[in-house]
Amino acid sequence: MTESQPILEVSNLCTTFRRGDRVLPAVRDVSFSLGKGEVLGLVGESGSGKSVTLRSILGLSRRYGEVSGAVRWMGQDIAALPERRLRRIRGREIAMIFQEPMTSLNPLLTVGMQLTETLKAHTDLGRKARRDRAIEMLDHVGIPAAASRLQDYPHQFSGGMRQRVMIAIALAASPKLLLADEPTTALDVTIQAQILDLILSLADELEMGVILVTHDLGVVAQTCQNVAVMYAGRIVETGPVRQVLRSPRHPYTEGLMRSVPQDVPPRTQLYSVPGTPPSLDALPPGCAFAARCANRTAACLDARPALAPVGGQRSLACFNPARAAQGDAA
Amino acid sequence: MSETVMEIRDLGLEFQLGRTLADVIQRRPGRVVNALNGVSLALKKGETLGVVGESGCGKSTLARCIVRLYTPQRGRITYHGQDIFAEDARADRSYNRRVQMMFQDPYSSLNPRMTTGQILSEALRVHQMRPESEIDARVAELLELVRLPQDAAGKLPHEFSGGQRQRIAIARALAVEPEVLIADELVSALDVSVQAQVVNLLLELQERLNLTILFVAHDLRLVRHVSNRVAVIYLGRIVEIGDSETLFARPAHPYSQALLSAAPSLDPDDKGSAIRLQGELPSPMDVPPGCPFHVRCPHASEICKQQEPRLTAHEGRGEVACHHVKEINTHA
Repeated sequence: MTESQPILEVSNLCTTFRRGDRVLPAVRDVSFSLGKGEVLGLVGESGSGKSVTLRSILGLSRRYGEVSGAVRWMGQDIAALPERRLRRIRGREIAMIFQEPMTSLNPLLTVGMQLTETLKAHTDLGRKARRDRAIEMLDHVGIPAAASRLQDYPHQFSGGMRQRVMIAIALAASPKLLLADEPTTALDVTIQAQILDLILSLADELEMGVILVTHDLGVVAQTCQNVAVMYAGRIVETGPVRQVLRSPRHPYTEGLMRSVPQDVPPRTQLYSVPGTPPSLDALPPGCAFAARCANRTAACLDARPALAPVGGQRSLACFNPARAAQGDAA
Repeated sequence: MSETVMEIRDLGLEFQLGRTLADVIQRRPGRVVNALNGVSLALKKGETLGVVGESGCGKSTLARCIVRLYTPQRGRITYHGQDIFAEDARADRSYNRRVQMMFQDPYSSLNPRMTTGQILSEALRVHQMRPESEIDARVAELLELVRLPQDAAGKLPHEFSGGQRQRIAIARALAVEPEVLIADELVSALDVSVQAQVVNLLLELQERLNLTILFVAHDLRLVRHVSNRVAVIYLGRIVEIGDSETLFARPAHPYSQALLSAAPSLDPDDKGSAIRLQGELPSPMDVPPGCPFHVRCPHASEICKQQEPRLTAHEGRGEVACHHVKEINTHA
């Protein structure tokens, strides 16, 4: 779907936090790329490093931890950029929306103020033009009676409406890439469907790339073209959504898919991945999933499998993956 | 599945909000949140009844009424024929023992300063389930039951993961040998792989101990998996209730249809018939007259704005509260 040059290339991204004498490698060696207009899903369980990856792309983690690796945005390595230069990219070219629509808006400023503030920082529009654009944006994300709601405060909006406001702010400067960190997790399914539809139609319209972080495989199936599955800070499997979800090859992806109660007889035992994810400060030397894996061999305990292409645009980090389904290989 | 364990009739609960200064100046009464508006249902022995709905619809309020954390203003709840809010019943601790609740947040529902052993033995002592000498053995048995290691008894809640904490919560509820379990979003805070472990445990224990479970959750796939029957709640009312498989395969109420079709499918090519609801859940402070769903309903007509539909049985399905249920489902 995206033969053109990737707009974003992340290579060997590592983010490590230190708490006292504990070293927490939250993101380890993450590499991926994103084409123009592509929607990539980043899935994994809590603590797998999805959100930190997203934050590291925009340089939001470096205040708290050590970030290494390269983040090439339109050919420029922004991981090395000083804060001042980065600020011109944040919000203008790459925008982000967060999980909590309740806490990511300033409760003391009106919604109109927060919208025009973004426009003032990133565009040359005059005061009147900013106001018009703000109304247009609110209208665009489906907030009824947009003009009259500019003077309202965030608490006067419901959760779904606040998330719409967040999206309006993020998209105000027409960014080329949207980083969405669990944008619908705090919302009800009916509102979730509305918001996802909105993000997709806007991405399509503005030819904007989207990285969608979520733990809901259903959301990935319905919205993304490609998916990357993370476990303990690494990408363990990546590829086109159809292929990965239909025939997962990494045992972890397989386990995740099977633990979702869909198409299983009701009230029977669900498949569950035994054990729990390893703690970040006690990662094993080999594959982090080895302790919970049914396909484990001696090699898995000693060496760490690297993410390697397996054909058909898919990559896999596993020594003993499930066999490829028919017609799956390129 | 025959005997009715618990019966809820026309349950109504309003939360009175404090009068704001503006209310006082304008001589208005304080505002009222209508959390429950005439909920009726029956729990049968050994079944799992799933309760689904959007946030703010009253699912948790219902659960809390059942364990007497809230006292409803209207309606009644009877347990084996006895009114649980009657004067003499209020002092009756045995009800508290036989109906146990498990909460959503495994981080705030366990006392951080008590070890697992203390948490479990407290429940045993309060209800005098075992003589003092047998308490330790019973605690060990309970840990075994929820598959926690025996050394868990000496540990504090913060030493456990979310899934393990929910096991402790289950063990605490089971300590007093209840008949009914109220699970309010028991696994919502957990990751899918851990969720499956806890759900498996719950299903297995239900089988073994013949428990009756009210399973409140917003994850529709999960509710479908664990429930025998399901009730769909909208703005404090049940809009549809019936056999789980029938309801999920062929929902009859337009709200159930929209709610179920909004859940994203795992199959990328199954875009579903995706009925997109317009707008959001109206505020429970300002419930629309007539059918509360009419403002979002694609099938709404004049009658829906004026008259509230009643929950009535429909052939081959459960009970549905909708004026147009027949037309909607013959067209479909």
